[in-house]
Amino acid sequence: MNEVPVLREQRLEDIHGYIFRMPSLSTTVTKTLEICNNPNSSPHELSRVISLDPVLTGQLLKLVNSAYYSLSNKVPSLTRAIIMLGLNTVKNLVLSIAILDSLGGKKAFRAFTPNDFWTHSICTGVVAKSLAAAKGIPLADQEEYFVAGLLHDLGKIPLNSCFPDEYSLALESAGSKQDSLHQAENRVFGMDHSGVGKMIAEKWQLGRTIIDSLLHHHDPDAAGEKTRRFVAVIAMSNFFANFFKIGFAGNNCPDETVAEHLAGQIGLSWASLSGLIDVVSDDIEKARIFLQLTKKG
Amino acid sequence: MRIRFWGVRGSIPSPGPHTVKYGGNTLCIELRFDELDRLIIIDAGTGIRELGNYLMAQSPPQSTISAEIFLTHTHWDHIQGFPFFTPIYLPKTKLKVYGPVTYEEDTLEDVVGGQWIYRYFPVRYSELSANIEYVQMKEGRLSLGDGIMLTTKYLNHPLLCLGYRFEYEGKVFCTAYDSEPFHNFFSADPADPSYDAAVAREAERVVNEENQRLEDFFSGADLLIYDTQYTQQEYETTKVGWGHSSIEYAIAAAMRSGVRRLALFHHEPTRTDAEIDALSEKYCNPEFTGDVEVFFAGEGMEIEI
Repeated sequence: MNEVPVLREQRLEDIHGYIFRMPSLSTTVTKTLEICNNPNSSPHELSRVISLDPVLTGQLLKLVNSAYYSLSNKVPSLTRAIIMLGLNTVKNLVLSIAILDSLGGKKAFRAFTPNDFWTHSICTGVVAKSLAAAKGIPLADQEEYFVAGLLHDLGKIPLNSCFPDEYSLALESAGSKQDSLHQAENRVFGMDHSGVGKMIAEKWQLGRTIIDSLLHHHDPDAAGEKTRRFVAVIAMSNFFANFFKIGFAGNNCPDETVAEHLAGQIGLSWASLSGLIDVVSDDIEKARIFLQLTKKG
Repeated sequence: MRIRFWGVRGSIPSPGPHTVKYGGNTLCIELRFDELDRLIIIDAGTGIRELGNYLMAQSPPQSTISAEIFLTHTHWDHIQGFPFFTPIYLPKTKLKVYGPVTYEEDTLEDVVGGQWIYRYFPVRYSELSANIEYVQMKEGRLSLGDGIMLTTKYLNHPLLCLGYRFEYEGKVFCTAYDSEPFHNFFSADPADPSYDAAVAREAERVVNEENQRLEDFFSGADLLIYDTQYTQQEYETTKVGWGHSSIEYAIAAAMRSGVRRLALFHHEPTRTDAEIDALSEKYCNPEFTGDVEVFFAGEGMEIEI
């Protein structure tokens, strides 16, 4: 650990620089390169590998919603983004990200593995989409729930990569004090992954719903009226992943008291949710096979 | 508005005895507003060389040649004539070049000007005498002054590509090339292992919406110039995803959107005059085209709207 406390402003500067060239997960990179380098790969494979990586998904939505396209309506769906951008552009973009040094290098990303982080993110996305379906959200809008779930912990990537020593410390501190990781992050960094997630989502112009999901997934009540119920679904999905220990993104102590509150907020009982375990395990297994990952990753 | 075709061929110049009638130069269109003394050029394929020579011949010595050049995109067949546009080497020439660039960080000036380097061409970009201003374009609507309104629309092509809609004194002239109809490239077959019901349905919805937006863009045009590189059969057999449309699709889209005249454009380089004549006989008659007057664009053809 550094002897001299690093100034918050300096950290923010480091994070800003990192977001500019944020790499994708090592978990998906092999498959991504394989698909992009094979002229016969199907559009479905391409969209699938993107949908399994929070950075690729975020970057693609960033591009389609950016000033380059200056479209009048926000594009929240990956399917729409791919059709509008076209396969060439999507392949080029994805390749340019995949060839950056992927996460999980020797030093960075030490507090938890990219594969565990990946599993946690996918689980949260799949659960969020399933909850949306259970709530009768129209099919076309369910994808945004998946995207928000997939991206909700994006803020952990820069923190864990730029400051690996301190991030491990934050994780230990959360463990010893029996509180949640974002509180420990606040103690160590003076900021937490929700705030960093918001920075990313704002910088990538991902729209209010995604921004709020990243910022408020530990406290949906703080979200604006328009997005509160949406964020509650993401919060519940995150709790689900932590509670059943599907993947790991640093949170050992899911706050059980909030589960009932969240369940009430979204109008579904906690008991009804446990039936999702099979759906989620099945989806993750399929994704693992697709990415050609071994069980241990 | 007066429109003249200087290059109608897609992909690559195709000179030879079989392309004499319709021409072998790549894309270039002249748009004139005579009473305003304004010249707009759309695309700088090899057709722009002859246009440049024509402008030189028409202009008194020492006079200023001014033009606004709208590039639909920067694929080679749309910019490769630019180094041979003679007015660009005259200090009195004033050019304003508009066009889209894809998301990479290069500017329009770098992308277009990159042709003038020694390995490709004996003159360096910094040696050009003309006064050239570049304007990076996006989807939108803007006034070009003198009562000319321009609407731009992203088309479906492997590179960021714009359609241009010029409106002047109640008349509408529109380009929609290079463009392929948006299509659902996700599997729609439930028996396919990669089938995903939600994706298939969302993709179908997006495709329909985007194609409708494209038709809204050229709706009511007095003249529409459309990318019709292929026949429907050629398109379906091997050309899906290449970024171009079929003759049949263009005619149907023009009919749906109340276009008055449709110029079939961006001809396949292998298409001979005899083949175009045969296609013309088949497609360019009211039985097939209803109220829309349809014709194959040829070099030198001039139309007033």
